[in-house]
Amino acid sequence: MILTPKELNDQKNEFTVIDIRPGEQRNEFPVDGLETVVVTEKDINTISGKKVLICQFGIVTERVILTNNLEDTYSLLGGVQAWMEFQSDQSDLSRWSRQTVLPEIGIEGQKKLMNATVAIVGMGGLGCPAAQSLMSAGVGKLKLIDGDIVELSNLHRQPLYGVDDINRLKVEVAKDRLEQLNKNAVIESTDEYFNKENGMNIIEGADVTIDATDNIQTRQLIDRFSKEANVPMVYGGLFRYEGQVAVLNVNGSPGYSDLFPDPPSSGETCEDAGVLGMLPGIIGNIQALETVKLIIGIEQNLIGKLLIYDGLNHQSEIIQL
Amino acid sequence: MININVKCFSQVKYAFGKDELNLELEVGATTLDLEKIIREKADGKLDTVSLRIALNQKYIPHETELKDRDEVAFIPPVQGG
Repeated sequence: MILTPKELNDQKNEFTVIDIRPGEQRNEFPVDGLETVVVTEKDINTISGKKVLICQFGIVTERVILTNNLEDTYSLLGGVQAWMEFQSDQSDLSRWSRQTVLPEIGIEGQKKLMNATVAIVGMGGLGCPAAQSLMSAGVGKLKLIDGDIVELSNLHRQPLYGVDDINRLKVEVAKDRLEQLNKNAVIESTDEYFNKENGMNIIEGADVTIDATDNIQTRQLIDRFSKEANVPMVYGGLFRYEGQVAVLNVNGSPGYSDLFPDPPSSGETCEDAGVLGMLPGIIGNIQALETVKLIIGIEQNLIGKLLIYDGLNHQSEIIQL
Repeated sequence: MININVKCFSQVKYAFGKDELNLELEVGATTLDLEKIIREKADGKLDTVSLRIALNQKYIPHETELKDRDEVAFIPPVQGG
């Protein structure tokens, strides 16, 4: 059973709080605002009543409860890391404890995500999984733009939509679904196609723009505004079982116009060439992953590189731009 | 003669039905010579497709002389999303 820092704070008089961390860790990361007892794993059962186990990240405690089949015993979600954050500014980040435990992310990285704005151009096969993953990861604000409506043939690859949504505006349905993933996030939706008139308004002010469009002309326009506003562009494209991802226009790094200079010939769209739903799922999620890395500042990334992924043989190639 | 390994992506892969081609070229052949050969071999299937060329996993904007055992990738733009 799990208890969040806020829940523990509200009911702390009802529990015995047991710190199961090793002494060295207890000394390095003391717990403020809680009266704790120190007990080894095998002696937890000697304490009667309702108990909360705490460890550094809330992972060891879950294992201890399961392994020892402990009753009336809860694990503090996110552990001491999340508790201390809650103590300092009352923000409960425990729902992201499985990613804040990663050293590259941590509490500071999570706060960067929560303060970030991501623009997503196109809410189709790439936009749906990208938006879903970014919302779940805790990104604070999404700006969605798409003038399209949901059609039956979209459903196999656009998991935010269902049969009851047919003929509704994609951005409207997406906003409803995404808000259920994180009620504190802000979602701005624009029910128009991205164009010369509205483009700058969408991209300006965002930390990253995701190109989730299905045509080269719009991609070129995103590239132009991305350069003008100095907002990085995470490009994604598909052809049958193959996908491409590149992180473009980061402080003068190569852009789409360097990748494919004017005027590239038009390949087929997903509607023309066909696509299995998993492929945009994979590529849209790689775009979301690169977006998170850009926001947090993780150095291994696709800036100035083109990733080509083949879903048939699972081979990938990275080309230096 | 020099041996060149050609990696095929997207429309190029479908034009040849293969992930890779191994070609033997004259010494002194360039990337553009190779592109011409590839287009001819594709029998019209790549006539309307623009191709970017990567040599040994690096984009090259200009015509470059090939060396024995170079790897050349032909990368078309893709639309879908």
